[in-house]
Amino acid sequence: MIEIKQLAKKFKVDNPKKLSEQEKKDPRLKGRFFHSVQNVNFVCDTGQVLGLLGPNGAGKTTVLRMLSSALKPDTGAILIDGEDVLSNPLIARQKIGFLSGSTGLYGRLSGRENIEYFGRLHGMNKRTIADKIEELAEVLDLSSFLDRRCENYSTGMKQRVSIARAVVHTPKVVVLDEPTTGLDIMATQTVIEFIRTLKQQQVPVIFSTHHLDEVSELCDTVSVIDEGKTKYNGDLHSFAALADGSLHQSFLTSIE
Amino acid sequence: MWLVFQKEIKELLRDRKTLFFMIALPLLLFPLIFGGVAYFSGKAIEKAQNKVLTYTIIGAEFAPTLAGKLSQADDLSLNTSALEADDVAGIKALVKSESVDFVLVIPNTYSDSVLKVGQNVLTLYLNDAGLNMVQRRLNNIVDNLSESNRDQAFIELGIAEDIQKGLIEPIVIDKVSTADKRESIGEKIGGLIPYMVFILCLQGAMLPATDIGAGEKERGTLETLLISPIPRNQLVMGKFLTIAFAGVTSAMVTVASLFVWGVMLSQGMAVELITEFMGAISALDFVLMFAMLIPVVAIFSAVLLSLSIYAKSFKEAQGYMTPLVFIVLIPIILAMLPGIKLEGIYAWIPLMNVALAIKELIKGTMDYMALIPIFLSTTAIAGLLLAFCIQWFNREKVLFR
Repeated sequence: MIEIKQLAKKFKVDNPKKLSEQEKKDPRLKGRFFHSVQNVNFVCDTGQVLGLLGPNGAGKTTVLRMLSSALKPDTGAILIDGEDVLSNPLIARQKIGFLSGSTGLYGRLSGRENIEYFGRLHGMNKRTIADKIEELAEVLDLSSFLDRRCENYSTGMKQRVSIARAVVHTPKVVVLDEPTTGLDIMATQTVIEFIRTLKQQQVPVIFSTHHLDEVSELCDTVSVIDEGKTKYNGDLHSFAALADGSLHQSFLTSIE
Repeated sequence: MWLVFQKEIKELLRDRKTLFFMIALPLLLFPLIFGGVAYFSGKAIEKAQNKVLTYTIIGAEFAPTLAGKLSQADDLSLNTSALEADDVAGIKALVKSESVDFVLVIPNTYSDSVLKVGQNVLTLYLNDAGLNMVQRRLNNIVDNLSESNRDQAFIELGIAEDIQKGLIEPIVIDKVSTADKRESIGEKIGGLIPYMVFILCLQGAMLPATDIGAGEKERGTLETLLISPIPRNQLVMGKFLTIAFAGVTSAMVTVASLFVWGVMLSQGMAVELITEFMGAISALDFVLMFAMLIPVVAIFSAVLLSLSIYAKSFKEAQGYMTPLVFIVLIPIILAMLPGIKLEGIYAWIPLMNVALAIKELIKGTMDYMALIPIFLSTTAIAGLLLAFCIQWFNREKVLFR
């Protein structure tokens, strides 16, 4: 289980003149600081999939980056199985598997070497990594290209290897930042199936997306953030009930 | 840390483009430069030497001896002309039209007897812009004649032989240099070697540095790397070592290539000179030169890595790194200036002190006590820069620009 409480993060603005018109109008800009995330809360239980929704610039990526420990929150708490991971980011890194739509691979290494490298960085030994790669190759159907250099992979192949790389250390929580953005239909399907597999394995998954069909297909709970604040938390059913008709309408209702 | 290093090296070795610039280019470049320059300059000199020069002589009747000697030379061929000595424009036009290589004008006052007329002034018209052998060939003949005319005059005056020498050159300075061959060659090339090695180290480190920092950002692999549970300082050290390793390797390959091809291509006397020169430098000196390069390379690598990780893309990183070459050039050029020695304040200025020390080691005049400030200052700077680099890698503003 992963819990996020009152997360907040501000960024210093070095040159306010450089900001876009939209950013200048944003109420989160206060003096020299841009309060990107102000108050975000949600809970994702074991075996649940949480969809993180919000318009562009709402702060989704910042929240997920804080979750992955790439950024340090100013205030708030992140609890994984009741343990606060902010005081010890190394623990968070071991427990979280993170993947974003823009994640790349080392082109001059083979898929196997890419996965191996991250396995080793996670302190796994070669034997365990090899076994894990076997297992993942089976699930994600990687065997045919695993030993070729990544620079020649198709987008779908890259995404499958990236998934394997993100979960090589058997994380307790998986965080995906717009994992399907920019992917073709086949590659998107791979990601969706992978999320389902994780769900079967009782691993909580948090993912941000703009595709509401993915939300209705996969999510148990939905969290909506806008202008750095949580606007809605609840299960998919009650989210759908926010408005008559489509989920799009529900989404618009939630951020009003 | 070694894990990161291993992986970076593996990637580097698989990058053909970088390898080409780091290793193949210096290996092939030097024989091409050496060979090409030697071949073409040799050809040009040979051509100039073998060419028969055509000439016109005006006023030959006033100096029959000289005219006779000129016509006897087999590499000169006479081309008669009706031009008068005072028709300067006509003579110039003749030379410009390239119908003759030179025109020699002898005044009507000419005489072989020095005691009668004093100094004879001949006028030589030629195109002196390019490579030519006119003056050398003419001097051979004229010097000969003028010496015999002078001797004739001395005899007529009845001057003894040792006095003759004194009259020609009343005071002579006999130079005895205490510098041995090594020191004098070292002074000449000792400034160039650190220049070459520094720049090569920097260049060799630049390509991998761009790839390792800005490249990771551009390809989207950095974020994943940052959230893997490896302490940030180990990550930086792994990358730092890769850059340093690449810089040293590239410099060593280039210097080795320069040395090997230089020895192979410079034949005869030059080879003896080089082997003798290299033999004079002790193994300890080589080790010291190498040891001093380590903090220098560390300085370069830390700066390059900091710049590279700050940049958003390859292009931006290259933009930041190019001025670095010019900055590094300043202390090296200062070290090449005459009069600047490895003393006092200069021994403490990083890069410059190492450049000076390498020169001293090559010359064989190293004051080994100067190693203390050299190592202290360069290591301190390298350490500070590396600490800064680690600090830099911990800043969200730098990583997520």
